[in-house]
Amino acid sequence: MKNNIKVQRAIHNFTQQDLADKIGVSRQTINAMEKGKYVPSTVLALKLSQLFKISVNEIFELEAED
Amino acid sequence: MKTNYLFPYRLKKISGIIFLISFITLTVFYFLDEFAYFEIKSKVFAVVGNTGLLGENDWFGWVENSITDEILVVLSIVFGIIFAFSKEKYEDEMVMSVRLNSLAWATIINYILIVLSYIFIYGVSFLTVMSAIMFSQLLIFIILFRYNIYKLNKAGTDEE
Repeated sequence: MKNNIKVQRAIHNFTQQDLADKIGVSRQTINAMEKGKYVPSTVLALKLSQLFKISVNEIFELEAED
Repeated sequence: MKTNYLFPYRLKKISGIIFLISFITLTVFYFLDEFAYFEIKSKVFAVVGNTGLLGENDWFGWVENSITDEILVVLSIVFGIIFAFSKEKYEDEMVMSVRLNSLAWATIINYILIVLSYIFIYGVSFLTVMSAIMFSQLLIFIILFRYNIYKLNKAGTDEE
């Protein structure tokens, strides 16, 4: 699964730590998500969507192997 | 998401220290005969107890036994469990998934060890190995989990 969290974060001018604090996870989790090493839960995806004010589909995208 | 079966983070350090001390003492105690000096003899209640390796089983009776190892085993297991299953400083869903992953691998590795020792170890040594295997799953889990969390924190330090 691909995501554009890093882009969204840049648009909103958040550091990884800012974003982590806002959605209640550790900075390591944000880092792992941006690198595609961790697929977040639905709850976390919805929190991101709420924060960035865009739909979940606009942040996450399925890849061929999913 | 709330996880309610984990112990609080503040117990982590102290339980880790007690676990390490009692576990090392237990290991040393097991391998060194001189430690017989530290034996605490006591009458204990035994559900099953017998005298000698081939003696008759005595059910529900009182036996004389050194309780040093009992104390150390209980300390190791209780504080080992608390250390292994207490919250991380930053507990979130990824830590939860790392924990589950480490637990699954620890179980698999442990059973591989059990199968291997069952096939290749015979005689009285087998009893020694089996008593070590009482702790191996917990120990493997702790090592795997700590290593994975360490790896995670290390990977997380390179921002942008």
